[in-house]
Amino acid sequence: MIDYGVLLKAIAAMAVVMFCLRVLPLIFCKKPIKNRFIQSFLFYIPYAVLTSMAIPEAFHSTASVPSAIAGVVIACILAYFERDLLTVCLSATAAVFIADQIMNFIK
Amino acid sequence: MLIIYGKVVIFLESNIKQTSELGYKKGFLDGIPICLGYIPIALAFGISASKLGMNIWIAQLMNVAVYSGSGEFAVLNLIEGGEVSIITFALTLLVINCRYLLLSISMAQRLDTSMGFLQRVCFGIFNTDEIFAVAVQNPGKLKAPYLFGLATLPFLGWFSGSIVGCLFTNILPKSVGDALGIILYAMIIALVIPSAKKSKQVLFIIINSILISVLLECNPIITSHITSGWIIIICAMVSATLGAVFFPVHNSDNNTQEEAKVQ
Repeated sequence: MIDYGVLLKAIAAMAVVMFCLRVLPLIFCKKPIKNRFIQSFLFYIPYAVLTSMAIPEAFHSTASVPSAIAGVVIACILAYFERDLLTVCLSATAAVFIADQIMNFIK
Repeated sequence: MLIIYGKVVIFLESNIKQTSELGYKKGFLDGIPICLGYIPIALAFGISASKLGMNIWIAQLMNVAVYSGSGEFAVLNLIEGGEVSIITFALTLLVINCRYLLLSISMAQRLDTSMGFLQRVCFGIFNTDEIFAVAVQNPGKLKAPYLFGLATLPFLGWFSGSIVGCLFTNILPKSVGDALGIILYAMIIALVIPSAKKSKQVLFIIINSILISVLLECNPIITSHITSGWIIIICAMVSATLGAVFFPVHNSDNNTQEEAKVQ
């Protein structure tokens, strides 16, 4: 049984946490940062965060590792040829779906 | 199916070309892939929440208040385990989502000075990793209409997907649900690779992040001690620091796409 009294308080606390993480920097870091090191660090952060989020998690995101590899490879190829976001996403999904069907068929 | 998909893509592309300036419409259209990526995850969240016996409206309240995929799944785990400490809830979310602090500071440097206090607060609440990632692909300063356009569909997708998931726990065939698991990662790949093609420095950062991330995540001693939220932060801090040490960006004008190329 879920204790909704606790859960509601927890949701309020979590909303505060997310507000601090997401909103406060937008309000308080208004001034452009002059320090070259911090500037460079902030320029590279998005790429670093996104890549660490995606690898190796992407390989466990589908029903099996081989189908995930198929999806990642297709996404990489299409991204290399600079196809738009939607094309890359849907093609990778299709590749995973087909790969999983083939895997099921072989089994 | 494929024909419809092709037509949709052509329609969207023609629309995107027409609206080259960064207004609400361009942002709205750029939000479509993010929204498509969120729907399956939101469905999965709704399904998990209703399987736990969670009240649908409490689940939606959490969706609005927290609005973070990875964070909310971790919270479901805590609820399942019967966690009663509010501090544990807050700390778990803090650890998982600490990366937002880095992203928001980076984002703050890109916001146009015309954006006022309320606009910053509103946008901050609806900001996510993926919205951030798409937004920073645009050169120059980012203005409010584009950002609000970009944030619209992902939020609607997340919210409605979760309601549908709560109501109909068997809506997606398992094979389709599994295949959709790749979609957010495909999006990250689509965002990162073109930048890596244009800039050797970004490529260096990416390869570094992959190496460190794989090294940490595939090490059972490390994964038994720290969560993947921390691994992402450690990994990002180390590789961005290496980048800043070896390839400091030139321009004093912040973070434009051109900067890394000038090197």
